[in-house]
Amino acid sequence: MGRLINTLRARLIAVVLVIHAALVPLLYLGVSAIVEEGYADSFVNSVRSFSRLTADELEAVDEKDFALRAVALLDGVMLSGQVVFTEVIDGSLRFRSSLQPESAPVQRPDDFDFGDHGDQVYYISHSIKRGARHVLLRLGFDEAPTLQRIAAAKERTLTAVLTFTLASLIVSVWLSSVIARPMVRLQEAAKRVAGGDVHARLQMSSSISEVQELNQVLESMRQELVGANERLACEIREREVSERKRLDLERRLLHRERIATIGTLAGGVAHEFNNILTPILLYSQLALNDTPPGSARAHDLGRIVAAAHRARSLIKRILTFSREMDSTEVGAFSLRSTVEEALALMRAIVPSNVEITLDAQEEDIRVSGDPSLVHQVIINLCTNAYQAMRRSGGRLLIRLWSTDEPIEGQEEAGRSAVLEVTDTGHGIDASVIAHVFEPFFTTRDVGEGTGLGLSVVHGIVSSMGGAITVESTVDQGTTFRVYLPIARSAAPALAGDSA
Amino acid sequence: MECSRILSSRRALLLLALLFCAALGSASTQSVVLVVRADSPVTDLDPVTVRKLFLGVPVLLNGRLLHPIRNRSDARLDQIFLQEIAAMSQAAYDRQILIGVNRQGWLPPEELSSSGRVLERLSSDPNAVSFLWQKDVARNSQLRVIRVLWAD
Repeated sequence: MGRLINTLRARLIAVVLVIHAALVPLLYLGVSAIVEEGYADSFVNSVRSFSRLTADELEAVDEKDFALRAVALLDGVMLSGQVVFTEVIDGSLRFRSSLQPESAPVQRPDDFDFGDHGDQVYYISHSIKRGARHVLLRLGFDEAPTLQRIAAAKERTLTAVLTFTLASLIVSVWLSSVIARPMVRLQEAAKRVAGGDVHARLQMSSSISEVQELNQVLESMRQELVGANERLACEIREREVSERKRLDLERRLLHRERIATIGTLAGGVAHEFNNILTPILLYSQLALNDTPPGSARAHDLGRIVAAAHRARSLIKRILTFSREMDSTEVGAFSLRSTVEEALALMRAIVPSNVEITLDAQEEDIRVSGDPSLVHQVIINLCTNAYQAMRRSGGRLLIRLWSTDEPIEGQEEAGRSAVLEVTDTGHGIDASVIAHVFEPFFTTRDVGEGTGLGLSVVHGIVSSMGGAITVESTVDQGTTFRVYLPIARSAAPALAGDSA
Repeated sequence: MECSRILSSRRALLLLALLFCAALGSASTQSVVLVVRADSPVTDLDPVTVRKLFLGVPVLLNGRLLHPIRNRSDARLDQIFLQEIAAMSQAAYDRQILIGVNRQGWLPPEELSSSGRVLERLSSDPNAVSFLWQKDVARNSQLRVIRVLWAD
């Protein structure tokens, strides 16, 4: 209740009510008094004038048949409608109107004001000179009609005052609403702003200039708050992006360091093992040459030589991963041609339930490096892809395009070629995807894979200054995206390259 | 009931005064008379002329302008004047006087607030005409009653 009274609207209405409660009764009493005075004055004026004229007329009546003439005059007075009592006192004689009912003589003194004596009759007497004697004329005027008019006028006044009060109340309610509505809207908007919705515009239309100015001031404050808030949010976003980039770079650096460490270790081991393997291969080959063909010993030595070759091949792949490749051909070459060559080979070994599609919009995308290594990258990625679709079949899509987007992890920005290999196979689980480029990491059964394919791909791409990313969704497929820097125009073309 | 509500305090006081006077009047009759100086040429004035005189209308008698003097020594006498001579209410009388002064250039009656001063004025002016209680002029040989205006 207290809160209700404390609202602007309630207070305005209360003020109007208090003012009316104080002034309306005074107004009514004042107007009533004026009305009453007016009617009373009019009545008194009328009866005094009328009685005076009657007295003057009576004074002018001829002495002959005075009584008859006086009664006739009094009859005329009675017929005026406002006189209820007439009497002429001539010494001991009393004449009254023949139209007046007989009644006892009135002993009451004269009235000098409206309402005197409370009998609703205004008695007035005039002394009339009739020669040497004085005759008294007494008339009584009915006050009741005037009293009724006064009462009716008071009723009308009361009705008018009550109507005025009601109209004032309605106007005050309306006016308080007009004044309070913009304030309430402003209050609600300010609450929304205070509640965090700083974009809630403080917009209200009011004809009251003070309210309008208050709205403008608060709106400018809100806009400043919005600006400061947006600046703060922008700074926070920038910091978050920077933090994410920093964490990503940190993660990549750790990954690179780990792969580099593994590569160094594997390369060292492979190098030493290659030194050991060389005499084994050499002497077993010599022994095989000295052994008669078809003998059991030749057969055993042949197995040793074959195993030594497989070991050398494995070592070569380890060395490739660890960048200790023995690459001799480095120059600019057409990536599309290399991709087409590799796909021609893949089409021969990929089962028919796997559809191979090449999407290469650009004709001449040239990269710098050893095309055989890029060939190996394509073969490895496509092999993994078709193996993922081996049972169910699917689609192998190879896309090739160039982009201006910087290669992740590369400091030097420039145009790069993008080789994308997408399959619709079983996909890679999220827990596995972080380890796919690590050497010797495989999800295949023992004997089915060495775990070196993707690590070799990673090593080749990194050695060419590129990067490789992987995206996969389980049961939907995997996409490997290889970024290679596009060869500068000054780079020499390789022999036999069409471009 | 209605009448009793509309009685003002002034009226109530007047009523009390009238009742008091009425009580006194039971012993002796009061009357208001029109008076001039004893040697005044005015012998009689009819009611219309008296009315004209006190409404400010110039009244000449034998070429001499009569001087009306309104006696305002007491409230009842004032009421009798309005009822018997002016034959109108106080507001209407004031209005008539203003109209006479402003439109016709008449002079309003001289007003005196005590009977003593009225008597002095009448004694000093043979053309002066005023009204007084009968008792105030009963033994005054310098004045002459020319008409009874009102009798209780």
